[in-house]
Amino acid sequence: MIPEKPRSGERPSWGSWPLPKDEGAREHRFGDTTLVVAADKAGEGDVLAAAVLYGRGGRTPGKKSRVLALPPPGDPAWKRVHTPSAGDYSLMPGYPSLPVCLSLRQPFILAPGARVEGWICSHAEARLVLGGAEAVSLPLARPYKTLYGSPESGVVCRHDETDFLAGDELLLASLKSDPRLIAHPVRLHNASSAPVSVAELCVYGEQLSVLADAGGLRSERLSFVFSESGVKMRLDGAVPQGSAVLAKPRVSGEERFIERSFEVWKAITKW
Amino acid sequence: MVGTEGTLGAAAGQEPALEAAAETAAEGADTILGFIPADGVLGRIFSMDTALKVGRVALIIVAGLVLVGLAVSILRRMTRRRMDARTSALLVKLAQYLGFALIAINAFEAAEVDLSALLGAAGIAGIALGFAAQTSVSNFISGFFLMSDKTFAQGDVLSVNGLTGVVTAVDALSVKLRTFDNQLVRIPNETLIKADVANVTRYPARRLDMKLTLTYGTDMDAARTALVGAVLGDVYALRKPEPLFLVRGLGDNGIDVLLGAWLAADDWVEGTNSLYSSVVAALSEAGLGLAYPTITVLQDDGAPQKTARQPSGARR
Repeated sequence: MIPEKPRSGERPSWGSWPLPKDEGAREHRFGDTTLVVAADKAGEGDVLAAAVLYGRGGRTPGKKSRVLALPPPGDPAWKRVHTPSAGDYSLMPGYPSLPVCLSLRQPFILAPGARVEGWICSHAEARLVLGGAEAVSLPLARPYKTLYGSPESGVVCRHDETDFLAGDELLLASLKSDPRLIAHPVRLHNASSAPVSVAELCVYGEQLSVLADAGGLRSERLSFVFSESGVKMRLDGAVPQGSAVLAKPRVSGEERFIERSFEVWKAITKW
Repeated sequence: MVGTEGTLGAAAGQEPALEAAAETAAEGADTILGFIPADGVLGRIFSMDTALKVGRVALIIVAGLVLVGLAVSILRRMTRRRMDARTSALLVKLAQYLGFALIAINAFEAAEVDLSALLGAAGIAGIALGFAAQTSVSNFISGFFLMSDKTFAQGDVLSVNGLTGVVTAVDALSVKLRTFDNQLVRIPNETLIKADVANVTRYPARRLDMKLTLTYGTDMDAARTALVGAVLGDVYALRKPEPLFLVRGLGDNGIDVLLGAWLAADDWVEGTNSLYSSVVAALSEAGLGLAYPTITVLQDDGAPQKTARQPSGARR
């Protein structure tokens, strides 16, 4: 199943490819993360195995730095999927199933009534699509978790770190250098009467699209409103024109409304 | 029956054929279905009047059960989403019992049973039943107190009197747990009111407290760096809240340290295994060791000689 001689070579990060039969493990580079895909015959179909190697992309230091150090066949890093037909597989960007807590590398204070616009970035997951359906989703950054909020009532989130890039336009160069990043245009508003320290912003990926344009991957604009009762995130405006939609929200607007209303109701009645 | 006898009396003195026919008819009228005497106990039971009563009672019971079933079904649907499982189950049970009581009262009325006599008897029986059902009633009422407490719900992991398991059912009289070695444990509500109950999964995150003893002479800054680094490098440990490093004191065998790492409640088992392994690996990599139990023996000449059950200051 796990090929002995990995194949290296640059190829676009996102797209479709035929199954890598009789050619070893195929390598997909995403910044310093490498996603390897291998296929093996299994009955009438094939078993596709995929694993993510973080850091230097699993490369061993020294002369043979081009050789990937693959995980052993029994390693849980390998995710295996059976596919009945020998079609293509696709790698598409997506969001983690957990909310993402973006920790700002340089927190700042937002004065009462202040409004700020800017950009933050989160790491995408690679969705392995077979026959038009998502087979498995692989995190392209080491999947650390964190707690957004207090230990009594917080939400367990995927941990991520970002810079807050203030201004109307995104610094495109920083995005192009790393295909794993999805940029989120944000609008922050402090509606409370006290200054707010902006250190973490929580993003619910299930509500967002992944859009591709000349600058890389991005999402819809998000609005964060800070008030005495906490911070609320919501979509701020429609999908920009001229962008290709690579992933749609997993829940519709109506579902989100019902879900959120139910959560509020539960919070009021349960404890 | 009276009417039939009158008719027979009027027929007396007619022709013999008619008399024979009348006698045959009289014999038939004095029995039900040809063999049950009409004036006997069974005859009185199998009268038309009784049949009507039975029909009414049956109709009330069937219609009542259908109505109660419908009401319970609607109530269950209404409460399932709006309330936690425990409250919903108790409300449904209460509605069910009330419905059954109403059906019973109506059925007795339809059967023309004197309820006052029955209630009088029920009063006496109630005292006897009260003593007999004391525990059940106590459990039932305890259920309401537990409901108002809102300490746990279905799906939570509870630890009660040394037992730990997942709450699979919250009933009117008891709570059922499925322990992790796959046993079904029924805990009466009254016990839960009295006992110390720990809801292990109430909050989204839990702290794993690792109590370690480091050898005397350990560089504590290096130990802190290694241990906190091990936690932050573990994929299961939460980045926030930050790990806790606390020197608990100087123990008999070494320096007692508490290392607290936060885990998502869902990752408890995998996270615990992973974190202990990470800590041991980090200490080994940093050249630090965990202390073994040691004992100091003083010789007669006064010179101390340190011996150990295990190598003193052993390093792993």
